Amino acid sequence: MSGALAAAIAVGLAALGAGIGNGLIVSRTVEGIARQPELKGQLQTTMFIGVGLVEAMPIIAVVIALMVM
Amino acid sequence: MQEYEKRAARQRKWMFYLLAIFVLGAGFTPYVQVFLGLLLGGVVSFYNLFLLQKKTTEFTEAIATERRPKGLGTVSRLAATALAVIIALRYEEYFNMIALIIGLMTTYVVIMIDFLIKQKE
Repeated sequence: MSGALAAAIAVGLAALGAGIGNGLIVSRTVEGIARQPELKGQLQTTMFIGVGLVEAMPIIAVVIALMVM
Repeated sequence: MQEYEKRAARQRKWMFYLLAIFVLGAGFTPYVQVFLGLLLGGVVSFYNLFLLQKKTTEFTEAIATERRPKGLGTVSRLAATALAVIIALRYEEYFNMIALIIGLMTTYVVIMIDFLIKQKE
């Protein structure tokens, strides 16, 4: 029971952090592309790297949570 | 081909090379468990990379053409990771857990090294 609770808290908090991080990245990218559509390629690359690195943390959290359960 | 597409193709190419090395390791070395863990993690990591590239392209295309963008596929990636971990926990005798985690992080290493090399150029 406590293992499941620990897993839920770990994944939940990691997903919350990733959600905030992704939201910040995506909102800035949308703003940038809306202002200067010619910079789409560069912003796309930045967004890709940003989202990729932000999502590393919840992925590790999922692994740890499933091992704890 | 645009810079982003070139970069994406290059990252996929490096992932293929790494997966080939893992397969060779599983086939021809005595560390079968470790390399199978790396292989399982690497395959899921490659799926995550492919999905992220595809979703990023679709997302920015949708913004540029003023359509409503769909999600970035975060849940799919987390679910794929969870599936890999569940498989590794179910068949513990075949997969090394630490190797699986290292395999899952392969994509990030590839992305970072590729980014650093391109920054230097």
